[in-house]
Amino acid sequence: MTVNELFAKLHEVPADPKAQMDRYLAEGKKIVLCAPVYTPEEIIHAMGFVPMGAWGADTELRRAKEYCPAFLCSIVQSILELGINGMYDGASAIVIPSLCDTLKTLGENWKYAVPSIPFIPMTYPQNRKPAYGVAFTKAGYERVIRDLEKLGGTFSDEKLAASNAVYNRHNAAMRKLEQVLAKHPEVTACQRSDAFKSAFFLTKEEHTALIEELTAALEQQTPGTEKTPILLSGILADAPAFNAILDEMGLHIVADDVAAQSRQYQTDVPESGDALTALAEKFANMDNCSVLYNAAKPRVKWIVDTAKARGAKGVLVALTKFCDPEEFDYVMIKKACESAGIPITVVEIDRQMVQFEQARTNIETFRDMLNM
Amino acid sequence: MAEEVKKAPRPVDPNSAKYKLGKIAADAFADAIEAKKKGIPVAWVSSNFPVEIPETLGIATVYPENQAAGIAARGAGERMCNVAEAEGYSNDICAYARISLAYAKLKSCPEQDVAMPDVVLCCNNICNCMIKWYENLAQELNIPMIMLDIPFNPDYDVSDAQVQYVSAQFWDAVHQLEQLFGLKWDDDKFEEVTGFSCRASRAWLAATGCAKYVPSPFNGFDLLNHMAVMVTARGKECSGDAMETLYKEYMENHKNGTSTFRTEEKYRILFEGIACWPYLRATSTGLKSRGINMVTTIYADAFGYDYDSFEGMIKAYCSVPNAINLEKSRDKRIKLCQDNHVEGMLIHTNRSCKLWSGFMYEMGRQVGKACDIPVASFDGDQADPRNFSEAQYDTRVQGLMEIMEANKEQKGAN
Repeated sequence: MTVNELFAKLHEVPADPKAQMDRYLAEGKKIVLCAPVYTPEEIIHAMGFVPMGAWGADTELRRAKEYCPAFLCSIVQSILELGINGMYDGASAIVIPSLCDTLKTLGENWKYAVPSIPFIPMTYPQNRKPAYGVAFTKAGYERVIRDLEKLGGTFSDEKLAASNAVYNRHNAAMRKLEQVLAKHPEVTACQRSDAFKSAFFLTKEEHTALIEELTAALEQQTPGTEKTPILLSGILADAPAFNAILDEMGLHIVADDVAAQSRQYQTDVPESGDALTALAEKFANMDNCSVLYNAAKPRVKWIVDTAKARGAKGVLVALTKFCDPEEFDYVMIKKACESAGIPITVVEIDRQMVQFEQARTNIETFRDMLNM
Repeated sequence: MAEEVKKAPRPVDPNSAKYKLGKIAADAFADAIEAKKKGIPVAWVSSNFPVEIPETLGIATVYPENQAAGIAARGAGERMCNVAEAEGYSNDICAYARISLAYAKLKSCPEQDVAMPDVVLCCNNICNCMIKWYENLAQELNIPMIMLDIPFNPDYDVSDAQVQYVSAQFWDAVHQLEQLFGLKWDDDKFEEVTGFSCRASRAWLAATGCAKYVPSPFNGFDLLNHMAVMVTARGKECSGDAMETLYKEYMENHKNGTSTFRTEEKYRILFEGIACWPYLRATSTGLKSRGINMVTTIYADAFGYDYDSFEGMIKAYCSVPNAINLEKSRDKRIKLCQDNHVEGMLIHTNRSCKLWSGFMYEMGRQVGKACDIPVASFDGDQADPRNFSEAQYDTRVQGLMEIMEANKEQKGAN
């Protein structure tokens, strides 16, 4: 397939995740929903289910308001809204890690708002690096395994080792794509978003194949003229209207620190020891994220270093409204960028946004400043 | 023009619980300032961090949540929040955190000064927001952070895995502090501190448990003040004595038919959530003027740590209100309602606290149904005065009262 054909294919899936879910169900596959962030997809995959991302959608919130006060983030509220409205019907379960306060409440509300889809909690440790932290992560995984066994899944360490390899290959493919995209300003922000978002709704084997093909095709393509290179940071940046503004303003994302994009692909499962311990060690090795404790806040330095290394002229923070882990980090990122002489701006976004005019004005001013 | 005659403040009996508890709370701030001058390490500590650690090691403590509540109650919440917001902090962030981060920058606030820390001791059994807040404090002040992670428990009981994880961290935190400040852990001292903590906790639970009497021998708003001692000084010997005095006074009130709720107690409610510190008077008057006594609150349980073993202590810290699932949270409220003859539930939907408010709608429905009581909620904030409307509060409380009244009439008719 050509680059454009591949992007068209990658666009179809996130444009209608329900259709993709129904296709898998029609094929007799069982689906387990994976709420943000760092759901152990490898385990779900190894136990014979299709893990499918549940990061909500740009939708009006109505029924979710019966459970959530207005100041909970729209990602979590829209996951609940879709659940109540039957958009996830047919799924065997939802796994929700509790890495932020709002995600803790999602699981509790889910039990009563969407009783037809069982809630499986994944409790991660914040002190994840010492041996006792790895042991607790493993205990959390074992809890997920027990719950998935009740739904007909079967676990073996060999199967998990194979799934770990599938996911490591996908990680590598996404990292390679991200590097190649940094050299191809002709790829739009909308296309870039599709490439990442489609990963949530396809099996990793299918997605890896498409991404590897896309990366190879892009490497054969002559890069377009450079636009204004930026680093994009945030939890989520998939709103078509938001990405259209980036394209309209001639901004080229040369690196991202977006949780739903590259942030999740930074760390692989090590290949040593038993597969479940190795998976727990992967979590121990993870960092550079607002919901993973680290008093040194390495994420801040990572953003500055990456922006410099990739030649980004500025950092654009797409701040999901009411996401307090990101709101706390933003201040430290802002200070670090300012000391490093890297321009930074913040745009508040959420899943209920219909008017992007304020964001447009802000981004336009930012673009003009970068090009002065 | 007639001159306003100011009443002289009523002298407080130095043997009373009010005096003793007030002194302990005030001394907690002053003692840390004195300790700092003497070169004793000072820690800023999360309210539900195991106080047994700093108390045993002889580290002076400051509780930023308590400081922020005091600052907010004295009217400086908005001013301090504005300082944090000028730094780039969103006004959606917990107002306690904003006030504390503002204090870290200014290092001064006449409404409640504290000693600056040499270390921050963070425990997230109250919320994960605490982690981000303390990470930033540690960065801004360039001091170490000790993190004791107690994850939210989605199950009803505390698992062995969680006990092992938290226990390992407990000792890790001790060793880190020993190394940082050249201190030595003393098992005898630890035993003594746990004894003090349990004694204070038992007396606190007994005192708050006096709400079972009708009428209640106390105004529930008393608990909001006295709670400060349970937050800041539950590991100190004097706290046990003061709490026992409180219990004794409440029992005497009950025997004498008196109460610190100085009007007729017509209705009894459970108040849910952290107090609206900037509007203590308004929220209190709105209830008292209608004869509504907030006889109980989850605070009664929140700082009552009674245990008889190390594992019991770890489990107690794993079972604080914000670390437990909906069902366990609900059952605790149902028990409070049943034990204390509660007739209505008033929920503070606290803009500062996503975790506390995040499943409160559903829990409120379940508690209301199980106890057959009306439930009303109002919007507010624990420390940012911009998020509260007195008119809305008044309307909601009036509505709650009318249903309680109708229920009483119906009961009377049957």
